Amino acid sequence: MKIGVFICHCGENIGRTVDCVRVAKACSFFPNVVHSVEYKYMCSDPGQNMIKQAIKDLKLDGVVVGSCSPHMHEKTFRKAVSDAGVNPFLCEIANLREHVSWVHDDKEVATDKAIDLMRFAVEKVKRNAPLKTIQVPVTKRTLVIGGGIAGIQAALDVANAGYEVVLVEKEPSIGGHMSQLSETFPTLDCSQCILTPRMVEVYQHPKIKLMTYSEVEKVEGFIGNFKVTIRKKARFVDDTLCSGCGDCAIKCPIKKKALSEFDEKLAFRSAIYVPFPQAVPNIPVIDKEVCTYFKNGKCSMCVKVCGRNAIKFDQQDEFISEDIGAIIVATGYKLYTIDKKPEASEIKGYGEYGYGKYKDVVDGLQFERIASASGPTSGEFQRPSDGKTPKKIVFIQCVGSRDESKGFSYCSKICCMYTAKHAMLYKHKVHDGEAYVFYMDIRAGGKMYEEFVRRAIEEDGVKYIRGRVSRIYEEDGKYIVKGEDTLAGVPIQIDADMVVLATAMVAQTDAPKLAQTIGMPYDNYGFYSEVHPKLRPVESSTGGVFLAGACNSPRDIPDSVAMASAAAAKALVLFGSDMLEREPTIAFVNENLCAGCFYCKKVCAYNAIEVKQIKDKNGNVIKEVAFVNSGLCQGCGTCNATCPSKAIELIGYTDEQIYAEIAALM
Amino acid sequence: MDDIKKIARELFTSGKVNAVLGYVSINGQRTKPFLATKPEETDNFIINKYILNNLTVYLTKKEILKYGKIGIFAKGCDVKAIVALLQESQIKREEVYIVGINCNGVCADFDMEFSGETIALKCLNCEVRTPKLYDELIGTTEEMPKADDGKLKMIRKIEALSSAEKWDIFEEQFDKCIKCYACRQACPLCYCERCISDKSVPRWIESSASKRGNFSWNIIRAFHLAGRCIGCNECERACPMEIPLSLLNRKMAMVAQEEFKYVSGLDPNTPTLIGSYDLKDDEDFIE
Amino acid sequence: MENKTFEPKIIAFVCNWCTYTGADLAGTSRMKYEPNVRLIKLPCTGRIDPVMILKAFEKGADGVLVSGCHPGDCHYNAGNFHARRRWIMFHKLLDFVGIDENRLHFSWVSASEGKKFVDVINGFVNKVKAKGPFEKYEKINKEFVING
Repeated sequence: MKIGVFICHCGENIGRTVDCVRVAKACSFFPNVVHSVEYKYMCSDPGQNMIKQAIKDLKLDGVVVGSCSPHMHEKTFRKAVSDAGVNPFLCEIANLREHVSWVHDDKEVATDKAIDLMRFAVEKVKRNAPLKTIQVPVTKRTLVIGGGIAGIQAALDVANAGYEVVLVEKEPSIGGHMSQLSETFPTLDCSQCILTPRMVEVYQHPKIKLMTYSEVEKVEGFIGNFKVTIRKKARFVDDTLCSGCGDCAIKCPIKKKALSEFDEKLAFRSAIYVPFPQAVPNIPVIDKEVCTYFKNGKCSMCVKVCGRNAIKFDQQDEFISEDIGAIIVATGYKLYTIDKKPEASEIKGYGEYGYGKYKDVVDGLQFERIASASGPTSGEFQRPSDGKTPKKIVFIQCVGSRDESKGFSYCSKICCMYTAKHAMLYKHKVHDGEAYVFYMDIRAGGKMYEEFVRRAIEEDGVKYIRGRVSRIYEEDGKYIVKGEDTLAGVPIQIDADMVVLATAMVAQTDAPKLAQTIGMPYDNYGFYSEVHPKLRPVESSTGGVFLAGACNSPRDIPDSVAMASAAAAKALVLFGSDMLEREPTIAFVNENLCAGCFYCKKVCAYNAIEVKQIKDKNGNVIKEVAFVNSGLCQGCGTCNATCPSKAIELIGYTDEQIYAEIAALM
Repeated sequence: MDDIKKIARELFTSGKVNAVLGYVSINGQRTKPFLATKPEETDNFIINKYILNNLTVYLTKKEILKYGKIGIFAKGCDVKAIVALLQESQIKREEVYIVGINCNGVCADFDMEFSGETIALKCLNCEVRTPKLYDELIGTTEEMPKADDGKLKMIRKIEALSSAEKWDIFEEQFDKCIKCYACRQACPLCYCERCISDKSVPRWIESSASKRGNFSWNIIRAFHLAGRCIGCNECERACPMEIPLSLLNRKMAMVAQEEFKYVSGLDPNTPTLIGSYDLKDDEDFIE
Repeated sequence: MENKTFEPKIIAFVCNWCTYTGADLAGTSRMKYEPNVRLIKLPCTGRIDPVMILKAFEKGADGVLVSGCHPGDCHYNAGNFHARRRWIMFHKLLDFVGIDENRLHFSWVSASEGKKFVDVINGFVNKVKAKGPFEKYEKINKEFVING
């Protein structure tokens, strides 16, 4: 191999502390180095031309540039080398600026270190192989997981740009938590009134394939080329026949056995049901757990009343496979159930608040249903225990949020606002009612948010008490709320008719499971991780997977919608080209050496290792070995390090290359 | 004893296996492994205090694999190796018929009277005297001699030493190594097609029996078995230079248990120690 | 040998995405640190094999540093979790056979932790300086050279 060495002064950035002339001279004595020069700006056109010219004149087939970090100009120099007819992967960069000249003062010492780094790079490049970037096609279809407002927005944006979308929702209807809300802060417009047109738009959009009551079962493949298996759960209703008349639900004799999920268990629903009247699609499902037919076969009322024979008790779960290029995850959140310790969690919970014990201690979403015109009380403020109008309501903020010892250390972000809204809605309808809010701090950052909270306090007379509640207990039909007013420094007691807990927004219980299915990272709370919190906030580190809404962290509606549009834009960027280019640094297997222990398969985070059978000429399996799916492999090399006999190696970072670098230390 | 021969014969006659791995006696205090490929070849099969070999080492050998389904007589410790081989896809459960032996301890070596003095150290705190996995089980467990666990004491003693003192101990021990690889040969879990010590490009481990080659070899051998070694101690028994290899193996097994509550070779469905991870793995040693 | 004049040779195995980039940040922030460490860039801590660490000692390193992304930040999702598990076993093994834990250092340095990178380097260089040359390993190395 004939190697050319090019040392850049980077103006004075390198030259000031590294004696570039001495480095170039030292390099000229390295074995295989036939050309070693320094220049003021290697990345400039004249600098690049020096490299190109030397390649042509001296027939170089390896290049080492001593310059700034490879993260800065590796691409530049690889391209220059490639333009001159040498494979770009036969060019290595030694980082003489960020790792040497900028961090050391002593010129002698810095120059010595620079020479060492050059030696490493020369030794490595000698063992580099010419590689070709991998080109993979892009399937221009998007999977959106979750049909809440974030998923709806993302699906509509992508579809309106002309690309097909598969929208998967696990519940029988899209709409998510937003469909349960009464009115939204800070404008107090009716949640359903602004949401349902979007839901209908999704349903009718020619580019959107809507799959409700469905879950993502398996994700194979990689960016641009996912193969996704979706489980379409049995509804026991044929959606091609059902007209959505609703007769089945009306006639269903099961009236008081199942609690409505949509109404947050404040009302009953039938065994065959649509979650709410505006549900999209307006097709019922049968709850197998309570349906008499599934219990003992003795009822089939719904079959009798259905004019279209749409009831199918023998329906099975279906598995549907979709080819997908980009995935937008918008699976949202749930509320922290404070009376129960979350599974596998250290969290102690708030048993002292009596949630689950006292009917009139409710959480935020339950209060939304009570306040909602479509709710079980048709928007009349009645407390769950006896239906009486509560005259005194205590709202407690930060239940589970900002509480490391009993809940979560993060702020749920939306509770300050929705509590102000709750108190306001209550005061608007119950004029003589009293609303008390226990708070830690008021966090009202957002357009018109602070003004909204001020309005609750100043115009609607909501009483804010800074402090925590220690205990709630029942006495003579009242709920005694004991707490402290920390501003006044006095203990405080309120005899309330009802208590509303602003419980923390937490990740969905099965969030880690979906993350593992997709193969993307999540944090300790179960929220999905973005690549970079500031500069890449909607991308997961798994290529082609984007995040929208509260699955990433607690978020309100405008933020979720904005994030959804951003995620959609990222998917569209991906669809902007027909082919994707990938670095060719992937693992490969020496099948002769592979003993088939499959430790590589165990450690691979991308399911890139497959089992390959080696057969003799008669077709008998001699042994099973590992096989790398080059489309899936991302080139981390964990397999390489784990393999005891080094039968699997990472191209570009082979054992031989790394050994040479270590050996170059001497 | 007739029992064993009958069982071994029946494995053939019932068509369950095509060959059986068992032990035959050489003299009263010695056995050797034997592969019976016909029913009548099992007539000398024996089980006594001298069935020292871990026969599972043969299960991955091509010469044995060609017979298809194999029967094997296996003590609890040997079965742990079978479990590890199952975890590592080296054998198929349906290809091995395990005659588990209820074990009351074996001798540390041949040609000695079995007693509390001569019992193999691995037997002392054995928790698999009844194998964890078998197709049929023979024998009964009875009272076993008690003795001091000298190796454990030695490990504890070494742990308390300074780095320099530890180094000196192992430098001296590893210095004895002649790179004969008997340890590798005897190990049921050393089944690589080509051992890393034989890899020449690049040569991670010096091939000569030099001090540094010996050091690297013994460290990497122990590391490649970390979380895998099932403690049959065949490596140490095979070592002609009497290097106490079990010090390293046992130390690693102790770390596996302390750090991860992991004991190798108990359940074929458990994820392997290396190859899995827990978000809560210790990282106090990482800055 | 006086420790004052002793300048240890240290090899660091670092991942490309976090620690290498953290070192870049230390550079762009013009932070100064000890010049004894030579970085070998790997895609991920998952790629770091214990044989590399031993080989570094064989080749005369007085100390070896290993560094990558914090748990949960791995560019490759789980490479550092697998690495961490291997390190637990390996560092306990080395400790047991007498390689002083002050000669093998593990750290997490993210792309944004230029300052931490500097602290890790300086802290480790000083530790190894205090330990002096790795004479024990040099001794077994020398024996090899003589006996061929």
